[in-house]
Order: sequence, then structure tokens, then C-alpha cells
Amino acid sequence: MARLLDLGMDKLTNMILDMAELSEKAVTTAIQAYTEGKDMRSEVFKWSEELRFLQDEVSELAIELIARYQPVASDLRFIKSSMEITYGLSRFGRYAYDITTVLSMFGDLSKCDHSTIISMADKAKVMIRKSLDAFIKRDVEMARTLSKMDDEVDNMYKEYVKRIIESKGSNLRCSVSATLILRYLERIADHANSIGDKVIYIITGESTPRR
Amino acid sequence: MDKIEAKGLNAWYNSNHAVKNVSLRIKSNQVTAVIGPSGCGKSTLIRCFNRMHELVPGAKVSGKVLLDGEDIYADFIDPVDIRRKVGMVFQKPNPFPTMSIFDNVATGLRLNGTKDKKKVSEMVEKSLEMVALWDQVKDRLNESGASLSGGQQQRLCIARALAVEPEVLLLDEPCSALDPNSTSKIEELIVNLKENYTIVIVTHNMQQAARVSDFTAFMYLGEIIEYGETARIFKYPKEELTERYITGRFG
Repeated sequence: MARLLDLGMDKLTNMILDMAELSEKAVTTAIQAYTEGKDMRSEVFKWSEELRFLQDEVSELAIELIARYQPVASDLRFIKSSMEITYGLSRFGRYAYDITTVLSMFGDLSKCDHSTIISMADKAKVMIRKSLDAFIKRDVEMARTLSKMDDEVDNMYKEYVKRIIESKGSNLRCSVSATLILRYLERIADHANSIGDKVIYIITGESTPRR
Repeated sequence: MDKIEAKGLNAWYNSNHAVKNVSLRIKSNQVTAVIGPSGCGKSTLIRCFNRMHELVPGAKVSGKVLLDGEDIYADFIDPVDIRRKVGMVFQKPNPFPTMSIFDNVATGLRLNGTKDKKKVSEMVEKSLEMVALWDQVKDRLNESGASLSGGQQQRLCIARALAVEPEVLLLDEPCSALDPNSTSKIEELIVNLKENYTIVIVTHNMQQAARVSDFTAFMYLGEIIEYGETARIFKYPKEELTERYITGRFG
């Protein structure tokens, strides 16, 4: 017989999975819109708001489960982490929206070199997927791979900024817009890494020190 | 500092091996909770801490229990003296029904040889104060202990245990017969009492263990499966059995 708490935790898991799907779609759509020069602000904004709304619902259910069942051990760690993971997912949505606003702010960017953005976006998307897979499969090893990828993304961002500072005569419109987008991607990668940390915490009880 | 230390402690009821090779340190002025499923040996364990287990016919104990470093099972030790130092309160409030509220608390003192009436009165008042019952009963001390509510009766029993100035208080499911309001009063009392006493509480209610105790021991089939700080046990238990028991996934 399922514990009453399990019914609530299953509901929590399903809400997280819905958010995961939506947040991944928001990021993918935003990147695609940028590379194809399409204005997707209103769609992505709608998803971002929906994610925020779902995040509040997850928090409400989480505190209800705490109040009703006084969960302990891995149950308690899961419920605490569900609130933190969904914060990360709602941030994915917000940064995706921020990415879509760059196009309207800077106008036509089709002549700019998109290569760094594309390769960093690919990495960030892999990180999102891995963080979600690690959560779904409760896979500690997979979650542990995220911090190395996060370091790689950080380095890509720093190197890009260094390169444009040092390069003479670069196109300001291209370099500033790219820096903004890379910054958003870097933040996305950071949240994906943090979701990985929560997965490790749920399973092992280990907290990863903040870096 | 350790107040009680069990070393390789075993206890039997005839052929039933109820406590198996338990080694445990109970810290001074802390609340230690013993949790575990029915029949796991937790009540038997604490009854070995004041030599009450041996009062049951067919009971046997081996191993050591040190109180302040001294073996309470040594030949020269008087068990009555141990039971004065290590008091006990039971699941069901059991005031002496024919005695007044005053006499319920005073009787242990008199049995221990305190003749001075003034001293007895002072100790009765002090003990009832400690359990926050004095204001409610000071004008009816001659009424029967049985006239009190369940929660008040249990506090009376705690006052009775405290009157003989013990060092350790063993509580065997002290709230299981009480309503939630009386339960919270007893829980507050337990936490307040640890300033002056070392407390060991056996409880079926895991949330109660989580609320009142500093250390928790989880017992299963007579053995201590895991022992540690309560906050750690309830957030990050190390043993799979503990995890399953406290999260209600047991059996």
C-alpha cells in the first residue's frame, strides 16, 4: 500500500516534470529564435510566466506535505529540493525570455558570428537535459558530471569577453548582444549544475559547497 | 560527558533475548530518545538502566551499565539506591489512587527517610512547580490524585519521580495515553527538565522524538541499529533500516 505521503510526492514529481518539459522548450525556442532572427518574445514570455506560476504551486504543495506528514530523511530532502529545483526551472524560463528580448533590443543580428553562442547553447542544453535525466533516474553519477560542464561554460564565457575586450574594431552591436546572450546561457548552465547538486543531496544527503 | 554507559548489555525474559549486545552512551543533561517498532526491546533497555528489568520473573541481564562510571550491577550496589537516582515514569499515568495529591509526591521522600515536615512540604512544592502543576493544585493538595485530568496525572507522576531528586529520568512512552494539548505540555516539560536531569525517553511517536530529543537511538530486534544526533538521524540517516523505519516504509 502506498504511503499517503507518496501520493503527494508523486504529484510533486509530475509537476516538476511538467516544468522541466516547459523550461527546456523555452530555452530551445529562444536559441532557435535568435539564430533564425525570429521574434518569439510573446510565446516564451507566456511559458516563463507559466513556469513561475507552477513554481509557486510546487512550493505550496511542498509546504502542505511538510505540514501534513512531517516528512523526514530522503522524503524531507526530496521535498526541500523540489522547491529549489523548480526555482532553477523557472529561471531557465526567465533567461530564455531574456534571450528573446536581445533581438528586439539590437535589431538585425544576422551578420554577426553566432558560432560561440551556438556551441555554448548546445552545451547548456545538454546540461539541462542531463540535470533533468539525473533527477528522473536518481542518477548521482550523471549529476556529478554537471559541475565539470559548468566550468567549461564559465570558461567559454570568460574567454569570449576577454577576446572582445582585446580585439580592435569589433562590431559593437554583435559583441554586446552576444555577451548578453552568453551571460544568460552561463546562468542557465549554473542553474542546471545546481539542479544536479540537489539530485546528489536527495540521494546521498551530501551538500555541495557553494562555489 | 556520559551519564550512563551501556557496555555489551544483554537482557532476556526467559528464553526471549530482548536486548542484544547493546553498547550506548547517554549524555548528561541531554534528552535521548529510543525509537523502534513494538517489541524491539526499547522499554526493556531502559528498564536495565535502573535495574527494574530484574523485577520481572524469568528476567536476566548480562553486560554492564555504568552510571557516572560506576557499574550499577556490581555486587555491593543496592538496586533501591539506583532506582532513587534513576527515576521512571510510565506510559499510563499511575498516581497512587488512594493518596492525596500531596502524598503522591511526598511518599517517595518519606520512604527515603525524610522526616522533616517542612522539608517534605518544600520538596512537594518544588517538584510540583517544576512540572508546572503547582498553581493548578496548590489549593486542593488534599484531594485524590485520581481527581486530576490525564495530563495533570502524568505531570503528578513526573513530580513524584522528581521529588526524590534523581539524576536521570527514564520516560517510557509518557504521552501515549494523553491528548495533544497535554502531550505538548509534557514535551515542553521534558525539554525544560534537561537543564537539571539526564532524560531517556522511549516513544512510538517519531515526531515526538524529533521534537524533544538531542540524541536518538533506533532499535530493531533487540539491537541498536543507529545512534546519533537527532537532527542528523531525521535528515540524513546512515542506515537503510533507519531510513525505512522513520519514513514509514517498514514492513
